Amino acid sequence: MRISDWLERYPVRGVTIARDASLEEAARAMLASPECRDVYVTDDEQRVIGHLGFRRLAGVLLASHRPTQSRRQMLDRVARGPVHEFMDRRFVAAHREDSIHQVLHRHMERRVEDIPVVDDDQRLLGVIRLRDLVEVSLAE
Amino acid sequence: MEILFTGILLTAGLLVGTLGSRYLRVPRVVGYILLGMLFAPNLLGGWLGITDTEWTQPLVSAALGVIAYVIGGAISFAQLRRLGCSIVGATLGEVSGAFLAVLAAVLLLGITVADIPLWSFALVLAAVAPATAPAAIVAVVHQYRASGLLTTTLLGMVAIDDALGIFIFALVMAVVGSGTLESALGTVIWEIGVALLVGGAGGYLVERLSRLSHEQSLLLPLLLGAILLMVGMAERAGFSALLAAMVMGFTVRWFCGPQAERLFQPVEDLEETVFVLFFTFAGLHFNPEAIAAYWPLMLVYFFARAVGLFIGGGSGARLAGAPRSVWSNVGFGLFPQGGVAIGLALLLLHQPGFEQAGEVIVTLIATTTLFTEAVGAISVRYGLRRAGELGVEQAGGEAE
Repeated sequence: MRISDWLERYPVRGVTIARDASLEEAARAMLASPECRDVYVTDDEQRVIGHLGFRRLAGVLLASHRPTQSRRQMLDRVARGPVHEFMDRRFVAAHREDSIHQVLHRHMERRVEDIPVVDDDQRLLGVIRLRDLVEVSLAE
Repeated sequence: MEILFTGILLTAGLLVGTLGSRYLRVPRVVGYILLGMLFAPNLLGGWLGITDTEWTQPLVSAALGVIAYVIGGAISFAQLRRLGCSIVGATLGEVSGAFLAVLAAVLLLGITVADIPLWSFALVLAAVAPATAPAAIVAVVHQYRASGLLTTTLLGMVAIDDALGIFIFALVMAVVGSGTLESALGTVIWEIGVALLVGGAGGYLVERLSRLSHEQSLLLPLLLGAILLMVGMAERAGFSALLAAMVMGFTVRWFCGPQAERLFQPVEDLEETVFVLFFTFAGLHFNPEAIAAYWPLMLVYFFARAVGLFIGGGSGARLAGAPRSVWSNVGFGLFPQGGVAIGLALLLLHQPGFEQAGEVIVTLIATTTLFTEAVGAISVRYGLRRAGELGVEQAGGEAE
């Protein structure tokens, strides 16, 4: 199925956050949209420049509850930066004309939940949720 | 046979360490070291056909490369700026305090091993002293739900001090290896300068290569391959493998920018495996006779290091403008020493001229590690309590 067809059938807008926002602001934005598992970081022109998964976000915000931490995690805890320092800027995005089959494998290798769909200017058009894909696959 | 033996050390070491920690409440490293002692070539190891420990050298070198890469990639420039003057100042003070105090104390004591010049022996022992054990400190902070300025300072310090410690160790090994002071400058420039250049170039290449793969499972072979390549080239060309691997980690983090996690997490997961290996290997080399012969040296190392960390860390924090609650207590939180120090000591076993001294230093560091693991946790808790940062006690609750 083409991505554009999927978005029409299962429209999910996705969550975006400005690059200089704090992790707490990102968490609040994500919690306000419980249907999404990831947040997309945008620049001043609203172009998507990175991806931040909920697990990564929660891992940093709840770091004090972990009995073991790597040095990197300790510094993330005590010298925490804005959201763009935690995002993955080499995330996998799909375009409207792609087929789901084309992007699914590449996407699942990255172990993130949602597939962002962007236009030619990298602005977020919507999100394909992995759970919707599994639901459709079971129904077939 | 060595593969079988390594498998036994890893699984049995982990089992004994975990059982000892769970049922006898002793640090896991005690179990690791005891298991290693049991399998020494003159005990069970000999029965299994292991007559020497030469075969551990490539494993130790490669494993230290992994640890150095992780240490180098722990921090970015932006984080270093955000840590602030007081944490950076306290860390510089702590590292230089431990180094200078142990150096001065060993020189004053005048004890060396075999025919190693006293100044070489003192320098090498002093270079191992600044290494700390972040895991022990994080465990106390977590157990007592500590939070506050001292907690933040301690976590920041122990996350970056091993990087400075490795730099000092590399520098000292270059100086000691050069033999004479006249040739030291050239050797240092070669060993340190080339390590910085090659490590930096390696980090850039690794980060670029990682962009070709979106598959997470391909990153571990890339990273391990690059670390082994770096260590191997360093051994062949004679520059510092530790420094090169550390600079590679730092450069990967620098070029990767945001979200470097995918280039460090797979290697960080190997850290505990490496430490089990280090401690069991230390057990293989553990020599009780060395304790009897060199106990004054061990006492001097232990107390000089503690005094150096306390005075150096406190002075550094005070000069950098930290409040009294931090500078008067920060020294209590730095005593634990662990895997990195043991790894550096194991590396000495294979330095030309240091074979016998290496055995003594491994025994010394293993012994004092047991002390610092036991006393260190109490000391960290005492410092945090004095600063009023123990969350569980203040709430009147019980520690888990």
